[in-house]
Amino acid sequence: MKVLKVTWLYFVNSLQQNISGPVVFSLFFTSKLLRYGLFLTFLYFLGSGIKLIGGYTREQLIFFYLVFNYIDTLVQMFFREVYRFRSLVVSGGFDMVLLKPFPPLVRCLLGGPDFIDAGVLIVLTAVIAYYLAFFIHPSPSSLFLFFLMLLNTLIVAAAFHILVIALGIITLSVDHLIMVYRDLTSLVRIPVDLFSEPLRSLITFVIPVGLMFTFPAKTLLGLLSWQMIIFSLIFGVVFLFFSLKFWHFSLRYYSSASS
Amino acid sequence: MRKYLTVFAIDWQNQFIYRLNFVLWRFRNILRVLMTYFLWSTIFSVQTSVFGYTREQIMAYLLLVIFLYGFVGSSPSNDNIGGEVSSGALNNFLTKPIGYLRYWFTRDLSSKLLNVIFAVGEIFLLWLIFRPPLVFSSQPAVILIGILMLVSAVIIFYLLGKLALASVFWAPENTWGFMFVVLVLMEMLTGLIFPLDILPRSAFTALQFTPFPYLLYFPLAAFIGRLSPLEAVRLLFQSLVWLGILFYLVKRVWSAGYKVYSASGG
Repeated sequence: MKVLKVTWLYFVNSLQQNISGPVVFSLFFTSKLLRYGLFLTFLYFLGSGIKLIGGYTREQLIFFYLVFNYIDTLVQMFFREVYRFRSLVVSGGFDMVLLKPFPPLVRCLLGGPDFIDAGVLIVLTAVIAYYLAFFIHPSPSSLFLFFLMLLNTLIVAAAFHILVIALGIITLSVDHLIMVYRDLTSLVRIPVDLFSEPLRSLITFVIPVGLMFTFPAKTLLGLLSWQMIIFSLIFGVVFLFFSLKFWHFSLRYYSSASS
Repeated sequence: MRKYLTVFAIDWQNQFIYRLNFVLWRFRNILRVLMTYFLWSTIFSVQTSVFGYTREQIMAYLLLVIFLYGFVGSSPSNDNIGGEVSSGALNNFLTKPIGYLRYWFTRDLSSKLLNVIFAVGEIFLLWLIFRPPLVFSSQPAVILIGILMLVSAVIIFYLLGKLALASVFWAPENTWGFMFVVLVLMEMLTGLIFPLDILPRSAFTALQFTPFPYLLYFPLAAFIGRLSPLEAVRLLFQSLVWLGILFYLVKRVWSAGYKVYSASGG
């Protein structure tokens, strides 16, 4: 209960911080929407010249991209604090985090959500809802599975970020590691099936960005088998378990910098 | 001139301190192109020509994008200038006989050289792995104009970044926001992800009135033989016009910024 209360306070503080700079807020908000809009335009024109791309219609490709952005934004919003972890470690500020009677992992993962992304999420939710209603027409069971897979994606994303900050303690270079994660995820702005082997399996099962970003959309389109759904759920739990183990292992290697 | 050569040499050595960071940065550049590569490969597996592009032209375009992006886009000044001005570290430069913006341009050039060396290796490696068919312009004059456009692109990108960063003098808290806008436009409107001429004619023409297509797309179009010599000359001229406009703006805005600049503390 205490953990939830303190985390809520972190959220409120971040929100206050975000809205205290309206110019920055609107600059980032507009730029992000512009980025999505321009890539959607590209997919639209690409789809207008070609009937099927790797077996997918233009509408399906656009839907994959919308779901990708939704998940990407959701994950970035919650785990923004990870991007600030390096300065905490190299400055020795992490000592203060460890000293407090609050789980350091929760502090490092959820201590500074980015509510600029919340604004983007509202827009994306509206666009996806429109798209679902007019182009996809999902059944209630596929909607349920979609939310289940979305939850699983958040678990895998949490595990991924735990892995990154744990590596950050050992190597002291989180900045580029987290950006490598971001670039890896941006590979699956298109369905993972468009990649050839062995890259397809690599980004689905080894570095599971395909599983995280493509599977929820596939579930909604009815393109994912139940075996893969079960595999994904097991994968999520096992991945989280090993990430937590690695986090505890890495903590033993932490040595305070500065004074 | 000699002091800038020394800055170049020192920065060159500095870049080898954080080797892991550099390797990861280069790895990221390859990842950025892989998505586009596979998207186009899938498209060309069932078609021989798309939007007037042959498979050979698209593959050459994608490989050259890695090279050009490493050359034009690597600009450590964009990550550092805002912080230096807002923290007051700019004082150190104002008291020295060195131009601040020239100093950072020199450091950018050093970073570009290292990036280009690695980009050549990466392109060769990717070519070995995927063995894509490639085609380049057969007209040496157009390639030469493409090289000039590339030089102009490097300066345009530097000036664009500095124009956005100049906001630090008046609103330090918004600086990164303005820079983010430039980077998003750089990602989407320069041809990094797709050749711009697949857009409708009106959108493509409108884009020529912005500095963005001159950063990657037009030099690339010259290299892969999409431009006639006459078109190439016209586009080089347009690129130089943008260079002139941005140079003038940066000069005016930065000199106004220096006048309002103040730093406290020790």
